[in-house]
Amino acid sequence: MLYAARVKSQLVKIMSDSPVQRLSPKKEWTLAPAAFRRLLQWLDGGADSDGQKYLEMRQRLLAYFDRKNCSAPDELADETLNRVARRLEEEGAIESETPARYCYIVARFVFLEHLREAQKATAVLDEIRRQRHGNDSTAAVVDDDKEKMLDCLERCASKLEPVNRELITRYYVGKERVKIENRRRLAESLGITINALAIRACRVRDTLEACVRQCANEAK
Amino acid sequence: MTSDPKYKHETITQYLLGALPEAETERLDELSFTDDEFTDSLTAVEKDLVDSFVHGELTGGELERFKAHYLASPVRRERVAFAQAFQVLGERESAGLRAEGPANVATKRGWFAALSTFLAPRPAFQWGLAAAALAVLLGGGWLAVDNLRLRQQMSQTAARRDALIQREQDLQKEIESQRVTNSQAEQELARVRDERERLEQELKKAQQGGAKPASGEGSIVSLILAPPLRGAGQVPTLSIRPGTSQVAAQLQLEAADYAAYRVALIEPAGNQSLWRSGNLKPGRNRKIVSVSFPARLLKSQNYSLRVSGVAAGGASEIVGDYPFKVVK
Repeated sequence: MLYAARVKSQLVKIMSDSPVQRLSPKKEWTLAPAAFRRLLQWLDGGADSDGQKYLEMRQRLLAYFDRKNCSAPDELADETLNRVARRLEEEGAIESETPARYCYIVARFVFLEHLREAQKATAVLDEIRRQRHGNDSTAAVVDDDKEKMLDCLERCASKLEPVNRELITRYYVGKERVKIENRRRLAESLGITINALAIRACRVRDTLEACVRQCANEAK
Repeated sequence: MTSDPKYKHETITQYLLGALPEAETERLDELSFTDDEFTDSLTAVEKDLVDSFVHGELTGGELERFKAHYLASPVRRERVAFAQAFQVLGERESAGLRAEGPANVATKRGWFAALSTFLAPRPAFQWGLAAAALAVLLGGGWLAVDNLRLRQQMSQTAARRDALIQREQDLQKEIESQRVTNSQAEQELARVRDERERLEQELKKAQQGGAKPASGEGSIVSLILAPPLRGAGQVPTLSIRPGTSQVAAQLQLEAADYAAYRVALIEPAGNQSLWRSGNLKPGRNRKIVSVSFPARLLKSQNYSLRVSGVAAGGASEIVGDYPFKVVK
């Protein structure tokens, strides 16, 4: 129940932050609560996930637009979901594709449109500046930020269950062949496959990373 | 990473670096939505890729692509920053684990398993266990107190030992750092001496070549001054032969705090400035300042060269006075 409440509060936050909620001067369509509920149901595919599927899909969209080096992945992810919701509202159902594949198809269109828009002079300049900034930023963060992040990391790591803390420490330790061998031994000692171990370690690291991000934002 | 040949670690790495052909990129784009297994692999490989960058394992084209493509996104730059912090934490943790012993997880699981087996209900043993428990309770009370005392002693000893280990490591680092600094200073000193000898040789050749001024006029005398010591110390002596035109001084600095310095020739008796330099850049390791000034300013008496560091805004601050004695 606690988890469901957390997911709902995240959804409320996303809805209130979302540019979809605001009037788009170009499309003149807003995502009303009824349309949003319909979108959630469609993504759930019949089983009520309490908004979990929506959050997962939004996360995948964010990652997709980020991998494409788009300047505002959040906005593009919301624009994609907005279009899907609009189609659902207009047609009542989308049965030609699975939700995941349909979302990808719409995302691809949104991305291609974004690219075309980026060809306009101003956008191109912004993109170049952004890209250049990216190239110059191999140091990633200044020392002060690194210190803060390390503090946050230690704090967040101390909140992990000891077994998870030990797991990621052992999983990510070492380089190249040593790392591979460490992982093989760790999987053996836990009695699970390498793949299962990778998924488990990634999830623990994601949790840790999210905690550190939140902690670092609070510290700013 | 994954055993499924569909999702090769290498292919996913190339995908993340934006190095795959368009059609293949689109195929993997789609999988990132439709295939949970691929998404899991993608997440895992991305973390390994970022770690490889942080550990300095990426080279050549991969490194270039990582910088140009992967680091273009602020979100991904944050991931790199996280991985850098995570690396530091990992090193600390693994050092701790090594100290604990290798098969820690398995051992802990084993202990818990053994304990739960022993505690499983067995009626035949219950009375016997009760009697044994009473005896254990009586003896155990004393043992527990004694054990607690011993544990406290051990914990204090361990804390003292850890503090000593830490102190030893700090001292070793300090010695190492000092050694590096000394070695750099020695190299700089050797370089300066070589340079001085070379200049003297050149000057000698020039003088022998016919342009020799009467009574050695135009020659240079050089002087190397170490950082001024606190308290009394021997003042270096500079012998100036007749006809010497310039004094070239190499001033060794205690610290390399400024990008530029100014030097003034001071007559200590009246604390009067006889000559001032312009802004001078320090030498190669930033701990030597070279300056030359006319020898005619000097008489047989004590002087000092006052070195001031010039801050970025132009303000200057006295770094030190370098006394020397002139004998003519």
